[in-house]
Amino acid sequence: MNGSHSHYLIRRAGQFIPTIAAILLIGFLLIQLAPGDPVLALAGDNGDAQYYADMRARFGLDEPLPVQLAKYAGNLVTGDLGTSYMQGRPVAEIIAERLPATVLLTASALLISALVGVAVGVYAATRHNRLGDHVVTATTLAVYAAPVFLLGQLAILVLALRTGWFPVQGMTDPRGDTTSLRAGIDVAHHLALPMLVLAAQEVAAVAQITRAGMVNELGSDHVRTARAKGVTERVVLTRHALRRVLPSVVTVLGERVGHLVAGAVVVEAVFGWPGIGRLLVTAMQSRDIPIVMGVFLIVAVTVVIANLLTDLLYVKLDPRVRLG
Amino acid sequence: MFASANWLTRPEAPGSAVAGWRRLTSRTPGVAGAVTALVVLSMGALAPLLAPTDPSAVDGPSLAPPSRAFPMGTDALGRDVLSGVIYGARTSLIVAGGVGVIALLTGAAVGLLSGYRGAWVDDALMRITEMFQVLPRFFLALVVIAFFGPGLDRLVLVLGLTSWPLLARVVRAEVLTLRHREFVDAARVYGASSARIVLREILPNVLPSAIALLGLVVAQAILIEASLGFLGLSDPNMISWGAMASQAQQFLRVAWWLSLFPGLAILVTVLGLNLVGNAMTNASVGRR
Amino acid sequence: MIARRLAVIIGAAALMLAACADGADEQAAPPADDQPVRGGILVAAIDSDPGHFNPAITTSGATHTGSELIYNGLVELDDNLEPQPELAESWDVENDGALYRFHLRDGVKWHDGQPFSSADIKFTFDELLPQHSRTKASVLATLQSIDTPNEQTVEFRFKEPYAPLLLQLNVTEAPILPRHIYQGTDPRTNPANLKPVGTGPFTLKSYTPDSQIELAANENYFKPDQPYLDGVVMRIIPERGNQMVALESGEVDWVFGVPGPDLSRLRDSGRYDFLTTGINPGGSNCIMTVSFNLDRPMFGDVRVRRAIGQALDRQQFLERVQFGQGRVAEAPISSGIPFAHAEGLQGMPTFDRAAAAQLLDEAGWRQDGDGTRVAGNVAGVPDGTALAFDFLVYPTFTSYGDLLRAQLAEVGIEVRLRQLEPPVFADTVFSNRDFDTNIISYCNGADPEIGVKRMYVSSSIGPVPFSNAAGYRNPDVDRLFDESRITVKGDARTPIYRQIQEQLVRDLPYLWIVETDSVRAFSRNCSGFSPSGHFAAAAFCRQ
Repeated sequence: MNGSHSHYLIRRAGQFIPTIAAILLIGFLLIQLAPGDPVLALAGDNGDAQYYADMRARFGLDEPLPVQLAKYAGNLVTGDLGTSYMQGRPVAEIIAERLPATVLLTASALLISALVGVAVGVYAATRHNRLGDHVVTATTLAVYAAPVFLLGQLAILVLALRTGWFPVQGMTDPRGDTTSLRAGIDVAHHLALPMLVLAAQEVAAVAQITRAGMVNELGSDHVRTARAKGVTERVVLTRHALRRVLPSVVTVLGERVGHLVAGAVVVEAVFGWPGIGRLLVTAMQSRDIPIVMGVFLIVAVTVVIANLLTDLLYVKLDPRVRLG
Repeated sequence: MFASANWLTRPEAPGSAVAGWRRLTSRTPGVAGAVTALVVLSMGALAPLLAPTDPSAVDGPSLAPPSRAFPMGTDALGRDVLSGVIYGARTSLIVAGGVGVIALLTGAAVGLLSGYRGAWVDDALMRITEMFQVLPRFFLALVVIAFFGPGLDRLVLVLGLTSWPLLARVVRAEVLTLRHREFVDAARVYGASSARIVLREILPNVLPSAIALLGLVVAQAILIEASLGFLGLSDPNMISWGAMASQAQQFLRVAWWLSLFPGLAILVTVLGLNLVGNAMTNASVGRR
Repeated sequence: MIARRLAVIIGAAALMLAACADGADEQAAPPADDQPVRGGILVAAIDSDPGHFNPAITTSGATHTGSELIYNGLVELDDNLEPQPELAESWDVENDGALYRFHLRDGVKWHDGQPFSSADIKFTFDELLPQHSRTKASVLATLQSIDTPNEQTVEFRFKEPYAPLLLQLNVTEAPILPRHIYQGTDPRTNPANLKPVGTGPFTLKSYTPDSQIELAANENYFKPDQPYLDGVVMRIIPERGNQMVALESGEVDWVFGVPGPDLSRLRDSGRYDFLTTGINPGGSNCIMTVSFNLDRPMFGDVRVRRAIGQALDRQQFLERVQFGQGRVAEAPISSGIPFAHAEGLQGMPTFDRAAAAQLLDEAGWRQDGDGTRVAGNVAGVPDGTALAFDFLVYPTFTSYGDLLRAQLAEVGIEVRLRQLEPPVFADTVFSNRDFDTNIISYCNGADPEIGVKRMYVSSSIGPVPFSNAAGYRNPDVDRLFDESRITVKGDARTPIYRQIQEQLVRDLPYLWIVETDSVRAFSRNCSGFSPSGHFAAAAFCRQ
C-alpha cells in the first residue's frame, strides 16, 4: 500500500465517526420534532407515570437541548437503547434475542447471491449477445424490478403450497427434534425459501455488474494479450478477467446491504421468520417506539460499517484504483 | 459508488456498422421502458376515466376470479381489482412526481454548488452527500411513520430528501467538466455573474444526465412505498398497490389474483423506469 | 449406467410428488371415540406473541391465549356459562349476594412446590387485578373487602348485593397468581412474568419470543386425571393464511380461528372437527359496535344517527367481512347472554336506503349538485358543511371501515378512515375523545355487568379504555343498570335489561352491527376441547 492508499483509508475511517454522529442526530431530531410530548414519542403511549418519569430522567428531557443530546448520545454509545414498556425489558436485550435469525437470513442470502450472481454473470458474458445472454438479462431485469413481497408470494404459491417441498413459515418445525443435526437440517429447510427470495434481487444486481465488467474485460487488450500468449480460456476468465471485475462486485454488494436488510423486513413478514424485521413490524404496530428507534440505529450503523468495509476491501482488491 | 448506478449499462462496442445496429437495438429497451412507464403513470392521472367502476364500490361478488365482468377479479369485499390497480397507479404517480422533483432540485442544487465552487465547499458538500447516501432510506421512512403516522406527504418528503446523493454526484461530475469549457469562459469574459453562469449556461447542459438517473431513483421510491404498503404502513385513504398485496396475503390460497395483479403492476412500472433510466444514462455517456 | 441413474432419480421424484400430493381424496379418519388417550403433544397456532405470561395485569388477548393454561380461576365456566368448581370446591352466597364465601380445594400446589392458600387469592385481587380493566371496573368497584378466615376459606364482601360475581371468577377474568412470588415487587417487571409459576394444568417449559411457547403437563395438577396431553406447543403464526397451511400440512393440530373462505375446503376434506364459539381469550360475546361521538354537533340529531344506521347493510358485513361467522346483532346485548338479550326487539335500524335518505333530508342534510350532503339549518353546524366524518379503526378491522365507507357513500355521506394501533386508538378515543365515529369489538362477557354496563352508564365516561365511547348520558339508563346489578335473581333482571335495550334503540348512541363468532378447527385425531381459556386442559390426541 502506498501513501495515497493509507491517506484514503484514514480519510474513510475518519468519516465513520461523523456519519454515525449524523445518524444519532437525525434520530434525536425526529424525537424532538414528533408531535406531542417527546417522552411520549420516545416511550410510546402506553406507559404510566413512573415509566415516564424514569425516561425523562434517563434522557434529560426537561433539560436544555445540548444536554439532552449529550445524554442521548451517551446512552446510545454505552449500548443503552432504552426500555420497551410493552415488554418491560431493555431494548438491547430484545434486539439481541432476535438478531441471530436475521443475521442468518441476510448473511446466507449475501453469500448465495455473491456466488450465484458471479456465476450467472460470467456465464452471460461468455454468451455475450447470444441467447443465453439475453435470457439472463431479461430475467435479471424482471427480478430486479419486482417487489420483494411478490417474489415471496409467488415462491409460496409455487414452491410451497403446490408442491409441498418447503415449509411456509417459521424457523423450525414445532414437533421437531432438538438434536443438533436434525435441528440444523430443519432450520436449513425453513431457511431455504426466505433466503432464496431475499437473494433473488441481489443475484440480479451482481449478475448484471459481473456481466458488464466481464464483457469489458474480455474485450480488453490485457485479455487479448493473454489469449495470444496461449493461456487457457479458463485461466483467462478467472485469473485475468474476473479478478479485475471482483472489486466492482464487492462494491455493489456493500452498497446493497441497506437494501438487503430492508428486503429482510419484508421477507420476514411474508414467511414469518422470527428476526428483527418481524420485531420491527410488531413494534410499529404497538407503537413501541424504543424498539423502532433501536432497530433503526442498529441497522444504520451496520450499513455504515458495511460501506466502510467494502470501501477498504475494494482498495485492497483493486491495485488500479485511483484515489484522491 | 457510481458503479451501482450504471450496472444496467451495456458497454458500447467500438464504432462500426455492427456497433450502429447494436446501438439502435440497444435503444429498443429504453423506448419500450419509457412507453411502459408513461402508460402506467398516466393511468394514474386518468384514473377516473379509465377505471370501469369506483374502486371502493362493493357491488361485485366476493372473491371472484378474473372474468369478463371483472378482468382482474374481485376482493373479499367485492371490489373490482382492476379499478383498484388503476387508482393505485395514481398513488405511484404522486410518489414518482413528488420524490422526483424534490430529489432533482436538491441533487442539482448540491451538485451545481459543489462542482462550481470547488474547494472547501465541494469537500463539505461531498462529505454530506456521502452521509446521506449511506442512510438506510427504508428504515428512516419507518421511523418517520412511527413518529408522525402514515401519510403520503411525509413519505414523499422523506424519500425525496434522501434520494438525491446520486443525482448530486452526477451533476457535480458534469459541472466539473463544463466549468472550463469555452462557452462558460466566454460568459465570464462578458461579465456574467456566477449565478447567471450556473443557471443559464451550465444547468441546461447538466440536466439531461440528472434526469437520466431520475428514472432509477423514482423506481426505487415506488418500491419502497409498495413495501411500506405491504407492511400495512401506507395511507389508509389512498389505494396503494402494496396495501392491496398486503390484504391479499391471507387469501393467497383461494384468490391468487389479489396478489398477482398489484405485484405485476409494480413490476411493470419499475421495470419500465429502470429501462428508460438505463437508456438515458447510456445516451448521455455516449454523447460525451 | 446413465439410464439407471435416471431411473432412480425419476423414481425418487415420483415418490416425492406422490407423497406431497394433495390429500383431498383421502378417507376420512375413523370417528374419535370418547375414551381419553394419554400422551402426545398438541401443536396450536396463535396469532401473536404474548409478550409475557401474567394475565392478571392485562386483558390482552395475546397474553391470555398464551398463558391461561398455566393458571386457574376460582371457578371455571362450562359451555352453558355455569360456574363449576376449580380452585374453589364449593361456595355459599349470603345476604342476597352481598357476601360470597368460597371453600378452597385442599392440597393444591404451585408449580414450584409451594402450597396454595386463600392468601394468594386476597393478594391477587388486592394487588394485581386492579390492572385488569374489566375486573377493576366491575368487581373491584363495589368490593368492600376480602377476608381470609383460614387458609381454605375466602370471603368476598360487597357494599351492596353483587349479582354477577360467579361469572367473573374464571381464569380469563380473575386468574390467581402466587403471593410468595409477587409480593413486594412491581408486577410489571417481575421476572416471573417470563418464568411463570401457576397452579394450572400446564407449566412453561420454554419460550422463544416471536416463535413458540412450549408447555409441559403439570404432573401434580389437582385434577388427578388431567391433563391427558404430555404438552402443548403454541406456535406464533401471525398470518391466518399461513395458519391454514400449517394446519393442512399437519404442522399444527389446532387453530383458534378459520378465515371464512377456507372453511368449506377444510370441511370437505373430512380431516378436521370444528368448534364454533363466541368465547375468545380477549372476551366473549363480542359485538362489532360503531360509536358516535355524541359531543359532536353533527350527531346531535337522533334522526342523523338513525339514518346512518339505516344506510348500513349489516347482512353484507356478516357475509363479506365475517364470512358468515356470527350473526347480525338483533339487540344491544348479545344473544350469547340469553336472559338479558331482548328477544324480538323492535326499533333497531333496518336496512333501507330510501328511508335513510329521507331522514337525512328531514334533518337538514340535503344533497347538493355532486351528491354530497350539506347542512342547511342544522343546530350547531354552519350551513354548507358537508356530512363528512372520520372513522377510527384498528388495522385488523380495516375491512369494516372500507365497507362502511362504501355503503355510506351511497347516501351521500363521506367517511375518512383513520387506522390506529390499539394503544393509540385507546388514547385517542377515550382520553382525548378526538374522533367522530369508530368501530370497537365490545365484548359483553358472560354477564351484562361485565362488558355491557361500561358502554352506557354516565359514570363510565372517561379515560379508561373501552368504557363509554359515545359519551352517552341517560339518567334512566343509569338507574336501571344500578337496579339490575343488585338484583341477584336471574329472571328478575330480564325485564330490567329489556327496558334498557328499548331505551338504547330509541337513543341510538351506538350502532350494533354483528355478533362475531370464531370457528376453531382441529385435527380429527384430537378431541376433548373446550371453548374457554383452558381449551386443552381435558384434550387428548390419538397418535
